[in-house]
Amino acid sequence: MSRYLAIALQTLVAVALAPALVGFIRWLKARLQGRRGAPPWQPYFEIRKLFGKEAVVSHTASWIFNVTPFVVFGTSVLVASLVPLIIAPSGPFLVGDLFATVYLLLLGTFFLALAGLDTGSPFGGMGASREMTVVALTEPTVALSIVALALNAGSTSFSQIVARTLAEPRAALGPGHVLAFAALFIVTLAETGRLPVDNPSTHLELTMIHEAMILEYSGPYLALIEWGAALKLLVFLSLAANLFVPWGIASSLSPVALTIGFVSLIAKLGVLAVVIAVLETRVAKLRLFRVPELLSASFVLAALAVMSTVLAR
Amino acid sequence: MVNGTFSQLVTLGSSGMLLTALIVLWRKGVPAYITAYKWQAWLLAAITATVGYYGRDPQLYWVAAGLLALKGVAIPALLRTMQRRFGAQREATPYVNTEVSLVIASVLVLFAYVLARPWMTVTHLPTRQGLPLAMGLLFVSLFIVVSRKKAITQVIGFLMLENAIALLAVVGTYGVPLLVEFGVFLDALMGFLVMQIFVYHIHETFDSIDVEELTRLRH
Repeated sequence: MSRYLAIALQTLVAVALAPALVGFIRWLKARLQGRRGAPPWQPYFEIRKLFGKEAVVSHTASWIFNVTPFVVFGTSVLVASLVPLIIAPSGPFLVGDLFATVYLLLLGTFFLALAGLDTGSPFGGMGASREMTVVALTEPTVALSIVALALNAGSTSFSQIVARTLAEPRAALGPGHVLAFAALFIVTLAETGRLPVDNPSTHLELTMIHEAMILEYSGPYLALIEWGAALKLLVFLSLAANLFVPWGIASSLSPVALTIGFVSLIAKLGVLAVVIAVLETRVAKLRLFRVPELLSASFVLAALAVMSTVLAR
Repeated sequence: MVNGTFSQLVTLGSSGMLLTALIVLWRKGVPAYITAYKWQAWLLAAITATVGYYGRDPQLYWVAAGLLALKGVAIPALLRTMQRRFGAQREATPYVNTEVSLVIASVLVLFAYVLARPWMTVTHLPTRQGLPLAMGLLFVSLFIVVSRKKAITQVIGFLMLENAIALLAVVGTYGVPLLVEFGVFLDALMGFLVMQIFVYHIHETFDSIDVEELTRLRH
């Protein structure tokens, strides 16, 4: 019983923290670029403002358009309850493993692309087609890096992978581990619409991907989608952090362990956020035609990770 | 336990060297290739020093220092002057495009793993996991040499090939005697200087270091 309570609590924490993570990255980027920047808690104000507004829905939109915000937010929350954030559940886990997580997140992306097509606006269709191109190219990488991790641990469940890395810290230095991490990090950037693939800070630019799909949304719907996207970023980053560097994660339900788990989660997310902010300040957005090159590079990294795990026994 | 850490470090370093070769296949600018080569040389020196530390062979420290000075500092500096003189900023469209070359590179590494399999079953060296990676680096750098058009990129591919052989020697036999190692160094340096002169002449004759131009020599 207390385990369910803990999982519910950590899901709530993730949902509450997600806008702050996005705000923190934005603030850090602004500071790095010499601007003062909005405070890290600005996204909370934006979400509150959007919830107070009226949603304008195009009269050509079908039910898909109305359902999508809930699907996006719902799958993000569901996934946040599956991944190890503060506690690594011991014993058999409820349901989820790596496959469930990745494909639940893809379900949200799929609905977002449908909603982009739904209203018939040219921007939405363009964004949806680009998003599907990128997702189709990231898919093999995701599957392969999962295989690399699962082969190391002998299971695709998170608790097994975390326990295995905790038991054998040297494995975290192995090429399979490091290469899979690099591949998953590139995929994270592509799937959450961060810089080398998509620019998160602009509207109305011909190169946008994620923003083009959600251009028709307003009011509470937009708030749900933005919140869901922030939560997706948090889930991907904490997955990358906790699967590859699991130290500090709580393995029991005692208050001390939970506090350590919480603090280490914040610290890991902070480090990754700094990495993303620095990266986004340094690199320019890739041309759309060069995105496949980046993604095939990440695919090769994942393939090498699998090879060095399987063949170098 | 000690052997475990040792073999992990060597494997990690060898994978890093392989990654720098993949960076050459992925990026388009010649300065990026030179930086990748510099990192690769530093990693090679680090691996040599690691093998020297765990294999208790102090001679290897001298080899590592020589590697660092020659391949990690001197040759990248020479490459940079070369690149500045020819203004060769970007690689022309290679014979094989970027996506396909990356996939071919991963197939080559797979091939290297298959080839190294029997070898790995008979050795009990802690460094044996580095063997397939070194062979993979060998194939990938050969692929760089044959698939790129600019002479300077081909030179970098050749230098990476030389690094791959050095890595193979270090992980396969814990390094060769100091004397032989220095002979190989000097050979590599000589080869590089000769190639530099060649590239300079190609540039003089054709106003470009695109080796496709060399086909005009038939007429």
